[in-house]
Amino acid sequence: MAASSETKGEGTLRKAFGGVLGFFILLLIGAFAFSIRLFSVIKYESVIHEFDPYFNYRVTQFLTKNGIYDFWNWFDDRTWYPLGRVIGGTVYPGLTLTAGSIWWLLNNLNIPLSVETVCVFTAPIFSANASWATYLLTKEVKGTGAGLTAAALLAMVPSYISRSVAGSYDNEAVAIFALIFTFYLYIKTLNTGSLFYATLNALSYFYMVCSWGGYTFIINLIPMHVLLCIVTGRYSPRLYIAYAPLVVLGTLLASLVPVVGFNAVMTSEHFASFLVFIIIHVVALVYYIKGILSPKMFKVAVTLVVTIGIAVCCAVLAILIALVASSPTKGWSGRSLSLLDPTYASKYIPIIASVSEHQPPTWPSYFMDINVLAFLVPAGIVACFLPLSDASSFMVLYITTSVYFSGVMVRLMLVLAPAACIMSGIALSEAFDVFTRSIKLQLPKLFESPSGSGDIDSTQDEVVKVDNKSATDKSETAPKERPSKKNRKKEREIVETTIKKPLNAKRLLVLPLEASSVAILLLIIFGAFYVVHCVWAAAEAYSAPSIVLTSHSHDGLHVFDDFREAYAWLRHNTDVDDKVASWWDYGYQTTAMANRTVIVDNNTWNNTHIATVGTAMSSPEKPAWEIFNSLDVKYVLVVFGGLVGYPSDDINKFLWMVRIGGGVFPHIREPDYLRDGQYRIDAHATPTMLNCLMYKLSYYRFVETDGKGFDRVRRTEIGKKHFKLTHFEEVFTTHHWMVRIYKLKSPKNRIRGKSKKSKSNSKTGPSNSKRHSNLRKNPW
Amino acid sequence: MNPTQACIRVHNWVLNVDDRRHRGGHGRSPSALLSGNQVLGMAKSNTTDAKALIRSLRSAYAATPISLKIIDLYVVYAITTAVIQVVYMGIVGSFPFNSFLSGVLSCVGTAVLAVCLRIQVNKENKEFKDLPPERAFADFVLCNLVLHLVIMNFLG
Repeated sequence: MAASSETKGEGTLRKAFGGVLGFFILLLIGAFAFSIRLFSVIKYESVIHEFDPYFNYRVTQFLTKNGIYDFWNWFDDRTWYPLGRVIGGTVYPGLTLTAGSIWWLLNNLNIPLSVETVCVFTAPIFSANASWATYLLTKEVKGTGAGLTAAALLAMVPSYISRSVAGSYDNEAVAIFALIFTFYLYIKTLNTGSLFYATLNALSYFYMVCSWGGYTFIINLIPMHVLLCIVTGRYSPRLYIAYAPLVVLGTLLASLVPVVGFNAVMTSEHFASFLVFIIIHVVALVYYIKGILSPKMFKVAVTLVVTIGIAVCCAVLAILIALVASSPTKGWSGRSLSLLDPTYASKYIPIIASVSEHQPPTWPSYFMDINVLAFLVPAGIVACFLPLSDASSFMVLYITTSVYFSGVMVRLMLVLAPAACIMSGIALSEAFDVFTRSIKLQLPKLFESPSGSGDIDSTQDEVVKVDNKSATDKSETAPKERPSKKNRKKEREIVETTIKKPLNAKRLLVLPLEASSVAILLLIIFGAFYVVHCVWAAAEAYSAPSIVLTSHSHDGLHVFDDFREAYAWLRHNTDVDDKVASWWDYGYQTTAMANRTVIVDNNTWNNTHIATVGTAMSSPEKPAWEIFNSLDVKYVLVVFGGLVGYPSDDINKFLWMVRIGGGVFPHIREPDYLRDGQYRIDAHATPTMLNCLMYKLSYYRFVETDGKGFDRVRRTEIGKKHFKLTHFEEVFTTHHWMVRIYKLKSPKNRIRGKSKKSKSNSKTGPSNSKRHSNLRKNPW
Repeated sequence: MNPTQACIRVHNWVLNVDDRRHRGGHGRSPSALLSGNQVLGMAKSNTTDAKALIRSLRSAYAATPISLKIIDLYVVYAITTAVIQVVYMGIVGSFPFNSFLSGVLSCVGTAVLAVCLRIQVNKENKEFKDLPPERAFADFVLCNLVLHLVIMNFLG
């Protein structure tokens, strides 16, 4: 008796020790996830990156200054002039509300952080939360060891780092956390059948809908999984409890968010959930009736019901198909269609096709973004099948669908990252299982000392007593202090609870001692490569704020701060109500930093408006001036990289302007700007190209820099070197000529002529005809 | 493939039984026309089958405990209310669409939650024998609270 209680005491002590160790490991993982994302703050400064985050930052500023009611009802007149934008109804409020509440909480605790600091550091905080959520999710699927491994992998995976560095204040920063947490709660409900977790699941889904448009992935994946469970015969009451309340509560909560509104019940993205809702009720009814009737009566019931049921089903299906087919896109939104059919966007929606993030990824980008995990994922998929449970079938479905979608758009590699980490975590922990088990079982034979073997026998016996899961139990709560402690990261495998083995006594795999020790060594080196790659990617590849550029020259580090210089000039040297026109890439930054009204911005919701600006940039000076004048524009901003070799400037984007403009105004034709199908700006360029506004505004006075006008990006000398601007005047060019600001000249008061009287009569004639001809040529 | 053969295929899938028995005179000669007597015989056997089915369903259902019957009555009441609302919407039009949605979804929602409660409280369910019914009821109340909070917000 004393011996058994003693061994039980030691067992609980070991479990407690494992629990505490696991807690500290999780804490360290969180701290690691936070700190690996701080490279840009250290190398540059605590600044918001890119373009979209500036909009979110501006919205958060408004929220903190004016309160939530004004934010909810905000109509923004500083953008998309003269249309304006309903911010309350078109923005996903999750991110801004999260950052706003963190700021409000901290300020009420008398920690006076500025809004910008909170915005910059929101993403790293939520990435730590995401790794903890990954731990919880993988623990539900496989166990604690796999959970810790998956959490560690997610903390570092480069694809997630790329969208959540400190300063990247974008929707995905909180959305990935919400995604993983929702999946965790769904699996938890599925495993326990508790309605409490179902409620929490619905609330977490609500948070996901608030945060990101990618919530449609959840509301299609979960019904797919339910259908899979039903079809493979795994229907259980827990499945019903996990799914049915989620659909009802989830649809209601999704309709509460103004961006989604009634789309939650009317667009095709949600129909899958309703369909599976009906199917699961039918299946539940069938199982219930089967339970209360005798088998003979049940067969009778089936025959009768099926004859009637099929007829009704066909009728309903016919109605549904007619309804859906009547809409041209079959009820799907453009963005969703471009995901399902990768060629859709390039054919119909050039704006979506023009964004570089929406291009399909190349093979090297898989290796760059998920590195070593690409090799571990297939092993994880196999491990999920041994044994197959509801949760592991869900994981297999998740990884398959996310691999498909990541192949459509580079941006969706982000959704692949958590799935890949979980699969790899499962694979790694299973592999470590086998190897350490082999070593542990064969090490006593190596030592061959009686006292040593006695100790080991007792520990083995105690392990058998503590975990009474299977007859031939040689499970892994046994101390793993024996394997080498070279890499502290691998100590996580020490705290593994028993994997759910089948109760029939299965012969466990034991490999030779040398092979398993070499294999463990190789796995540790493998992991080390992964860590090194992730830290390198975080430091070098994904930490550029893209609003400040640097280059290394022979005399040290050179910093290009031209963008902020230009916006600051605009802020201090123009009137508050002046309108600034530029290509849509710079809209958010202009409204946020320069605080001026813009014509088009990154939201790209109005294609015609963008096409108007594109047409203006592609037209000669006078028509362009007329277009801009009709929009009350005062200043035009262009980005030019020819002096310093900055490749993402407006001349490189110019063909997209032509295409988008030409899509709406047919007098702009792309072949007019190409010489023999080639896009050039040198002496052989077409006259349309050399006369268009974009060329003139980019290269005005460029020849004065080096006497020859050599464009470093296009690597040629420019075609037209000496020209004057008639309708625009240059007001500011930044230090490295990267941003150039021009002002529209006001129309002349007098028109030069010999005599006013005779000219006035004849003036109206030709000017009228000119106006008419202008009308015929272009609608302005 | 005629409809009866399709039925039989589904029939087998549900029961996992290789059943070759047919009703009436079908199946022996799929292409032969049925005589009037055969059709009458088939209809009669169908109605007797239906009556037997309904009788057995009724007797089986009468055996359920009364607490579960109360929950079933509540579910039927909720669904009826939802149907009434849909009919009303069909007559009057769906103008405040959010009100219509919240009304119908609240009925459907409480029905679903009541079914979940019934599943958890039913003594015949082996999976939930460790769950005390008080806990199941508390979860039910909590979920309903959240549902109705959302409904009140969405009702407009």
